[in-house]
Amino acid sequence: MEVLQEYLPFLLPVFVIQLGLMIAALIHIFRHQTYRVGNRVIWVVVCVLVNIIGPVLYFAIGRGDE
Amino acid sequence: MKAFVAFFKKEFTESLRSYRLVVLAVVFIFLGVLSPLVAKLMPELFSGVDLGGGIVITAPQPTAMDSWTQFFGNVGQMGMLALIITFSGIMAGELSRGTLINLLTKGMPRHTVIISKFLFASALWTVSYLLCLGICFAYTEYFWPQAALSNAMPAFLSLWIFGELLITLLIFGGTLFGNLYGSLLLCLGPILALTLLNIIPAMQAYNPISLAGNTINLLDGSKEIADFLPAMLITGGMTVVLLVMSIVVFNKKQV
Repeated sequence: MEVLQEYLPFLLPVFVIQLGLMIAALIHIFRHQTYRVGNRVIWVVVCVLVNIIGPVLYFAIGRGDE
Repeated sequence: MKAFVAFFKKEFTESLRSYRLVVLAVVFIFLGVLSPLVAKLMPELFSGVDLGGGIVITAPQPTAMDSWTQFFGNVGQMGMLALIITFSGIMAGELSRGTLINLLTKGMPRHTVIISKFLFASALWTVSYLLCLGICFAYTEYFWPQAALSNAMPAFLSLWIFGELLITLLIFGGTLFGNLYGSLLLCLGPILALTLLNIIPAMQAYNPISLAGNTINLLDGSKEIADFLPAMLITGGMTVVLLVMSIVVFNKKQV
């Protein structure tokens, strides 16, 4: 446990980036009705479970045209 | 030149609004932070684990080379995947939506479209890569001060050249097929083929795919620059040829 505490200042940015990207994707998913590929359930699951690549996939492929 | 600048600006705005710029930058910053951290933490996580029966894992102390191994592994795989995903629609999206028709009928040269798209994608890739490299370097220097690196320049350059090849493959695929799937197919197909070819040892020196992962051998000095030079030249040559082919195909294509 003390090991974890020692590296917390370095682990935190990783965690924040990961969480930030996920939340940004989730906000976008819930604000939009239509997607280019798939549906809301699929994208929520992908974004939450597949870290980093999931939200990237959503923004690149899933996001519908406004 | 005027058309080029205008289209370059348009590319910038597009990648800002399609989140391409932000996503790519964030992913590469993430990989830059992650690599040294994983290298540093891995032995801590494993050490002291009792497998039962008194077998205890003792991991060796991590070195700067472990951090760079992680860097090449992460950027060579996850980074390239992110690059492919974010740039997959770079040409295909415009063609399938028909957004280029207005510009082209107003007299914009077709080669300008390809060249400015390529240059913008390259610029974005270069900046993200440098960001990732800088962060990883800073962390590695912090954890393991004054670690010796041999051939650092060609080792990092080779990964960058491979990224450029992926970008041109995506542009060529998008131009040829005009849709997202064609673009992805033409990028992933050759990668798969090259990965299979890499099984043959004699091919490894000439295979572009060796630039994506094997260049860690340059850093620790177990291989020479000469071992990778043919692959680098071939990859650079392929990039130029694919770019020219994209322009040729696009000139004949009905938009």
